[in-house]
Amino acid sequence: MYSVELGGVTKRYPGGGRDPVVALDDIDFAAEPGEFVAVVGPSGSGKSTLLNVLGLLDDPTSGRRLLSGTDVTALSVAERTAARKESIGFVFQDFHLLPTLTAVENVALPTAFDPGDESDRAVDLLDRFGLGDRLAHEPAELSGGQKQRVAIARSLINEPAVLLADEPTGNLDTDTGESILAEFERVKAEGVAVVAVTHDPLVERYADRVVELTDGVLAGSAAERRSMADEGTVAGAGEMMAPGEMTGPGGMIDPEQTTGGSE
Amino acid sequence: MSLTAWRPAVAMAARNLRRNRVRTVLAVLGVCIGVLAVASLGILGNVLALGADDAIGDVGTQVVLSPNADAGVEALSENDVDSIRRAVGEPAVVPLYTDNAIVEGTTDRSFATVYGVERPALAFEAAEGQLPDRHRGGAIVGANVADELGVGVGDTVDVAGTQVRVVAVLVGTETFSPVAPDDAVFLPTSAFDADGYDQVLIVADSGAAAGAAATAVRERVNARQERVDVFELGAIVDEIEGFFDLLGTFLLGLGGISLVVAGVSILNVMLMSTVERREEIGVMRAVGVTRRDVLRVLLAEAGLIGALGAAVGTLLTVVVVAAVVVATPAVDAGLVLDPTNGYYLLLALGFGVGVGLLSGAYPAWKAANERPVEALRS
Repeated sequence: MYSVELGGVTKRYPGGGRDPVVALDDIDFAAEPGEFVAVVGPSGSGKSTLLNVLGLLDDPTSGRRLLSGTDVTALSVAERTAARKESIGFVFQDFHLLPTLTAVENVALPTAFDPGDESDRAVDLLDRFGLGDRLAHEPAELSGGQKQRVAIARSLINEPAVLLADEPTGNLDTDTGESILAEFERVKAEGVAVVAVTHDPLVERYADRVVELTDGVLAGSAAERRSMADEGTVAGAGEMMAPGEMTGPGGMIDPEQTTGGSE
Repeated sequence: MSLTAWRPAVAMAARNLRRNRVRTVLAVLGVCIGVLAVASLGILGNVLALGADDAIGDVGTQVVLSPNADAGVEALSENDVDSIRRAVGEPAVVPLYTDNAIVEGTTDRSFATVYGVERPALAFEAAEGQLPDRHRGGAIVGANVADELGVGVGDTVDVAGTQVRVVAVLVGTETFSPVAPDDAVFLPTSAFDADGYDQVLIVADSGAAAGAAATAVRERVNARQERVDVFELGAIVDEIEGFFDLLGTFLLGLGGISLVVAGVSILNVMLMSTVERREEIGVMRAVGVTRRDVLRVLLAEAGLIGALGAAVGTLLTVVVVAAVVVATPAVDAGLVLDPTNGYYLLLALGFGVGVGLLSGAYPAWKAANERPVEALRS
């Protein structure tokens, strides 16, 4: 069973003109427990949209979405919020810690409004990420690497199935970025699927698998692996690759291709 | 929904308010001024009404009947008085002869109303001497007349050329009444040589009883013929009280305007603060904090501003009112300490908190319902 799975997911946004913008075009994606998947691609290729759809922050226009085998394609706002708290951890490029809360309180934020006190678990997590002496510090008193460690600890407070990271090393120097990636290694060792969207070549080195997203179409190792497993479907893999080749990396979405893709 | 659900929200709200102290203090100050205005103007109106109530006193408990000259009735006969007594029942019925005369003391003279009354104790109260059960001899002098002439019990006054000994001086009423006992001298009925009474005074225990008596007279004594004019002071008292109610409402409304302004300032502060914290709120929503909890945090912020401003404003009102009472001897401290003024303090306190919550509601709702994916897009 995959931790998170997308089947034939398309995401369209209403465009400025007549044609909608297709951010994700018939995507098949899955991550296993304990797998670290890096999603790379040029700006505007739909990486953030993919992460938002995976993270239940945004709904797909069509296709299926599963979280630990449960269909979560169409949930109400409240159900999505609950599912995020239950199964998903987020790590952002800008850390996104609340400035008024201490490290421990930031880590416990997802559970702050629930009965019961999770600060013990928050302290444990911070200890594990080497911040045992920074528990009562506010974000302003922490370095970038420390903030991102607090953010990772926060993403793990509810023992999620998936950790979604948006440019987790984007605001960090190389050494700090490397140490953060080393933390992801430990996270995935606990059976959490890690999906990181990144520009950073360093992340690709740490990932088990790298998939490339170009103009809303997935390519790379995921597609290759599936085509290899599925014997005699070289043509199918070729189809998946084709649109990316047609538009080229970083190219604008071709309206004709858009309509073709949605048919 | 239990209060414990609000505790983390209130704690988080308190920290958010501390983040921008100047802005918070200014918003609190706005509510504080609004509450001060509502409470102090409310109390002012109430004190005015209480003062007026005091001045009008028990006038509202009296009904004055006089012969209806339009119907050709020149005076009220014993029969009329009997039928009035039967009609009103419980309240005391005091028929009066009325005349005007020059009253002379030892040194001064004064123009006074002279009444002939048989049972003065039913309607009046003596400050000096004793009111006889049946008035058979001597003069009962109103407070102002006694004061002007410089006479007391045992002195002799000259009423229209007749020497009469003063047997009692009435308590000054300082109230508005058509009988005006302060400026009158009361003689026994035997001093008058008249066919009938010029006025009949009905003295009831309460304004309601007076009103009922007036109605009874209209319905029963005047049933066949409009024999008496009913002058009911209760109606005037009602009108005066109505005026003070209106004045009080008007003053509260004035104070309310400043509270509305304070509400707008909270609205502004909360909108600004939620726009500034858009990303933070987006993060909270992304990591699984429910819309309701986000709403609670923001409502708690607005509510805290309102509550803090209201509490300070209420205390300030107490101080200001106390200072005014101390500085102005004309203000009767008893009226200010009247428990009904506490009601205005509570009202203002409640308004302050309510304004906070009300003006925080829209920004809170707006922020809580923003899609986290929009809020996080930076």
